[in-house]
Amino acid sequence: MIDWLTPETQDLLARGVVVTVVLTVITSVISFSLGVTSGTLRLADRRWIRLGAGAFVEVFRNIPALIQIIFWAFAFPSLFPQQLRADIFFDNAVIDFLSNVTGLSTPYYALAACLGLVLNTGAHLAELFRAGVGTLPQEHSDAARSLGAGRWAVFWTILLPGGVRAAFPAMTTRLIHNMKNTALASFVAVPDFFHAVQASITESFQATEFLTLAAVFYLLMSAGMSLLFRQFDLLLHRGRSRVRPA
Amino acid sequence: MSDQLDFLFENLPNLLIGFPSNRPGGLAMSLLLAFVGLGIGFAVAVAVGSAHDSPFRPIRWMAGVYIQLFRGIPLILLLLIVNQLLGGRIILGVESTPLTAAFVALVLYSSAYQADIIHTGLRAIPDRLVDDARVMGGRRRQVYRQVKLPYGLRVMIPAFTGQAITLFKDTSVVVILGVADLTTTARIALGSDVTNAPFWVATYLTVGLLYFLVAFGLSRVARRIEFRINRGELVHSLAKLA
Repeated sequence: MIDWLTPETQDLLARGVVVTVVLTVITSVISFSLGVTSGTLRLADRRWIRLGAGAFVEVFRNIPALIQIIFWAFAFPSLFPQQLRADIFFDNAVIDFLSNVTGLSTPYYALAACLGLVLNTGAHLAELFRAGVGTLPQEHSDAARSLGAGRWAVFWTILLPGGVRAAFPAMTTRLIHNMKNTALASFVAVPDFFHAVQASITESFQATEFLTLAAVFYLLMSAGMSLLFRQFDLLLHRGRSRVRPA
Repeated sequence: MSDQLDFLFENLPNLLIGFPSNRPGGLAMSLLLAFVGLGIGFAVAVAVGSAHDSPFRPIRWMAGVYIQLFRGIPLILLLLIVNQLLGGRIILGVESTPLTAAFVALVLYSSAYQADIIHTGLRAIPDRLVDDARVMGGRRRQVYRQVKLPYGLRVMIPAFTGQAITLFKDTSVVVILGVADLTTTARIALGSDVTNAPFWVATYLTVGLLYFLVAFGLSRVARRIEFRINRGELVHSLAKLA
């Protein structure tokens, strides 16, 4: 019946699904933290911190994710002399450990793809978080400060939850975009789902079938993520009026 | 160090406008791809976005599917799918090449994003404004074209400029079809053998810088224009009222 889906390709695709999902989860979590941190630093009182965070956001937001991934995976290691390069990136205890745990032949490329995705998505999220904080009424922080709350207390109890709540819908859109961007990791030989699909096509020449399968997979991932995030969003707004700040 | 600079100088024209045998290419091709994707995509998006606002449920539903479909899959996959469907076929008397496929895929992709912007923007129009226009005797279509669309589009400008910049960066993905944009040109210039390995960092830094200059520059220009449009605009004060 489905003769194009041989046991070997099934195995290959299943591994690809795992890599894509793991890559998505890891990069989402790290880039969310990075985004909130650097978004907050852009609001710092000290000028040089503000400028530094601003430079970070603008640089990593305005360079395509693909270029960043290729840079970290292929270009960056070539800065080091040959022997040192092998020692640092491809052949040491940490890399061997990662290789044993994940079953990847060159875990460095996966790490590089993660780094590229995290920096890119983190910079986008930082800007969204900052905009979210910007919609919070100034009176809340002022009131808290005049009641004697310290800066950290204001940040933890007002700016952070309020900013995330206001920016959450936009941030989730970006995280779904990040999930789609994990397909770019296939460029640097990370065996994710997209890579598995391409390999299966080269093997079987059944392009239409595999491409349709890939489209269905990514649509399901997008739909699943947006359902999940909607639940999170409801949780964030529990016990509050549904009216969002304009 | 000097051989790095020599390599860059030698390849800079290629990165900017493509290899002599294959022009336009490089950054010019990236800009062209984004420009066409945005322009034709906008026309499609006005239709789809309006359909998403239609009183007829099946039309609304179809527009929703269109948006979800092309936004839900990675552009890199959409490029492969469109190329698979069109590849080598003759459409309107022209044989389809990877470049045609890239244009079509970018139009589909960007129109879905823009349609969503238009859909949300139309939602943001205060009901009072539309009701008043209707009360003053405007027909549905008239109100749509003369009140809702112009008002809505103005509110949507920041979202559109953001989308334009994002699309420009996303064009880098056409490298999967071998379309000679900036990213592909860099890859070809570097080649696959090891002799050029020392130039990887410098070349990709230059490519990153070129993307950065265009994207960052565009965002600054856009911000200026938005500021100028919004200043003392009736529409803007209405938006704040609503």
